[in-house]
Amino acid sequence: MDIRLSGVSHSYDNFEVLRDISLEIPSGRIVCIVGPSGCGKSTLLRFLGGLEKPSRGEVLQIGAPPSDCLNPLTYIFQDFALLPWRSVRGNISLVLEDHGIRGARADGIIADVLARTKLSDFAKALPKQLSGGMKQRVAIARALAVNPAVMLMDEPLSALDSQTRELLMDDLVNLWTRTPFTAVYVTHNLAEAVRLGHSIVVMSRRPGEIREVVHLDKPLDQRQHGDPDLEEKQKYLWQLMREEARAADAELVHV
Amino acid sequence: MSDLHSPSTAARQVTFRGGGFAPSSPRWIGVAVFVVLLSLAELGTRQGWISPLTLPRPSDVLLTFQELYASGLLWAHLSVSLTRLLVGAALGASLGVATGVLIGLFSYVRAGLVPLTAALFPIPKIALLPLFVIWFGIDEGSKYALIAFGTFTPTVVATYGAVDNVDRSLIRMGQSFNLSWFSIVRKIVLPGAMPGILSGLRISLAIAIILLVAAEMLGAEYGIGAYILEAGSLYDLERLFAGVTILSLLGITMSTIIGQIERRVLSWRQ
Amino acid sequence: MTEFTRRKALALLGSSAAAVGLASPALASGRKITVGALRFTSHSGSFIGFERGYFADAGLDVEFKFFQAATPMAVAIASGDVDYAVTAMSGGLVSLADKGAVKIIGGALSEEAGIDGQKYLVSDAAYQAGITTPAQLAGKSYGITTAGSSFHYMGSKMAAAEGIDLKFKPLQKVGAIIGALKSGQIDAWSIVPHLAKPLAGSGKVHIIGNVSDYLPDYQVTTVFTSAKNASAEQQMTRDFLAGYSEGVAEYNATMIDKAQGDEGVQALVDLIHKYVYADRPREKAAKSIINGTMRLNEGAAMNTASLQDQLNWFQAEGLVDKSISLETVIDPSYVQTLG
Repeated sequence: MDIRLSGVSHSYDNFEVLRDISLEIPSGRIVCIVGPSGCGKSTLLRFLGGLEKPSRGEVLQIGAPPSDCLNPLTYIFQDFALLPWRSVRGNISLVLEDHGIRGARADGIIADVLARTKLSDFAKALPKQLSGGMKQRVAIARALAVNPAVMLMDEPLSALDSQTRELLMDDLVNLWTRTPFTAVYVTHNLAEAVRLGHSIVVMSRRPGEIREVVHLDKPLDQRQHGDPDLEEKQKYLWQLMREEARAADAELVHV
Repeated sequence: MSDLHSPSTAARQVTFRGGGFAPSSPRWIGVAVFVVLLSLAELGTRQGWISPLTLPRPSDVLLTFQELYASGLLWAHLSVSLTRLLVGAALGASLGVATGVLIGLFSYVRAGLVPLTAALFPIPKIALLPLFVIWFGIDEGSKYALIAFGTFTPTVVATYGAVDNVDRSLIRMGQSFNLSWFSIVRKIVLPGAMPGILSGLRISLAIAIILLVAAEMLGAEYGIGAYILEAGSLYDLERLFAGVTILSLLGITMSTIIGQIERRVLSWRQ
Repeated sequence: MTEFTRRKALALLGSSAAAVGLASPALASGRKITVGALRFTSHSGSFIGFERGYFADAGLDVEFKFFQAATPMAVAIASGDVDYAVTAMSGGLVSLADKGAVKIIGGALSEEAGIDGQKYLVSDAAYQAGITTPAQLAGKSYGITTAGSSFHYMGSKMAAAEGIDLKFKPLQKVGAIIGALKSGQIDAWSIVPHLAKPLAGSGKVHIIGNVSDYLPDYQVTTVFTSAKNASAEQQMTRDFLAGYSEGVAEYNATMIDKAQGDEGVQALVDLIHKYVYADRPREKAAKSIINGTMRLNEGAAMNTASLQDQLNWFQAEGLVDKSISLETVIDPSYVQTLG
């Protein structure tokens, strides 16, 4: 299943956030969206998953999601969004219960996603007992449980320290390599973008427009921390963004 | 580097200026305060520098309490009061939680009921007692109604405040996984609001105990409140204090029970 | 507790004996005293004593302090804020006397054969259901202010005489009882005639009996003061009772015996109206004041037999301590005792 944005614009009251965005997200690929803060990249992600409606333009699903897909468009949030009163297991079963999946079938799915995210030993733990990285792995496990057609990831690693971030990036790469999934990955961190993105969409500051789409052909599993060609790409991206970021930083916060 | 160790510069310890502002509460001090106050009262009434008009002798209060217990009347008073408290508070609190949740979830209910609640909250419910007697009868009905009404408004306010404070990102998460409206309310909103609801309940139940005495002003033969009022009109200080002590114990018990519930239900909190 | 009281009382007696010996004639002193009162016609003795200058003649400069109920007034006497007052011998009063705080020193109002006294009332609903005599009240609810109040006593003695059971409903205030009786929330009550008659006139309440049928010579209200005044301020107490008695004498002579004819009644009504029903127009108030006329005890004489009966009842009901004797409660040295 592909997703297409065509002519999407958005404003809050008279405050223009996004202008004329058209973009294609092909199946089985990770598309990273980078841009200075306030460029509307998170808003764009909310349009993709139907949590918000753009003022103009369309968000289209092309083709049907696979039949075993419970929740085609599934988010992973920056703040993890785990229910603190439910255990790891309970947090995952939460999203299965509404589909009538309980008992042995639920146990099977939960055991599988916990194994894939290396959390099998922590099924009974409460979120407060877990580190930030573990919490985000639970959120990833929860997303995997509904077998999404597209994963919508909103700065999933921004709340974590840099070591944990490296480890989780490795995990994401492994997950994708085993079973390729479609993902839109919003970040302000260029290193993450060059590690995980098959294509990288660079946005201008507000009102957000697409400045350039950069493609990376190197397979994900061959990319390493500190690869010279990735460094090169990252530098190039930074050149594109530098002025925008400076200008965005100098703007007054508009609430 | 060298002059760090040179004898010419006087070295002195850095003055400690942290500490304090972190009170802990050793349990025995609370007990000791009670013991000291009671012994002073006992001594004063025995030696006569506290007149029997001012304060009853603590040992006499204890004796009165024992007599009350031995006569079987303690249970007669306590059972009706507890029933009134439980029925009234259960009615008021459950209606209050339901209303509070509705206010927290629906714009029209909020627009309609928040001003009404604000208008009802400051009314001294005791003033409405004669009206309740007409509406609900002089027997148990008016007493349940008074206590229920008194616990209702603070519960509503605490509940919708708690619902407002539920992390919106959790609700957004529920929606992003296509959870039904009912599932979101039951599995995300209610548990998330629980800490606020429980702490509101603490206040509501204390108010319920205060109102118990008021409710038993009209037409109650038995009940702790009736017992206290009777003692007051007879100027029987021993019985008055015995009754007040029972109310205090009731309050402590209630608060302990809620503490236990909080510990069980809210174990997930940091 | 009693020991302490006695010791204190003895000490005070000693000092008072000395004081009396040195006292100059009270007449010239113009001593300031505070008299507690409820705005009821039964307190007319004090009002007349003040307005006609009888207290001033006795050498007292009286200031009134008004109360809404009898119990706070008793507490004010105990605390020394009020020197003398008139009220029913309630359980609270007995408890305060037991604590060595107050003493009954005279009688104020009593039931008397041949004079209109307090009435038993029933709600219209009960009346329509066929209750026309107190004997038919078995199992019915009966309004009282608080346990140990005069209402409780009147109901309980009637029930005992008729061999029936009543359900007593404490409602704290006379106003609340009237409301409950009118709306049929309670079945029966008893009250002084000046309240009973207009209530019966409204048709929502019916008079079914006289309290005096069950409690002849019932000492309804008494004059009381602090134990300190009774023992240490004998001259002042005598002066107060003298002024008060003159007021009572004029009230009885004018209102009941009509010594001054109708003109005298109207003149006294004008005087009493300053204190009682002051918020109502003269004509309406006059009717209630005349309706409420009951004979006050001449010379503040008190019926100790009735007081003993009331004390016995309090003790039988477990409302006050069984060890309290009448001597603890009253000081009979000032006035004539009856019964």
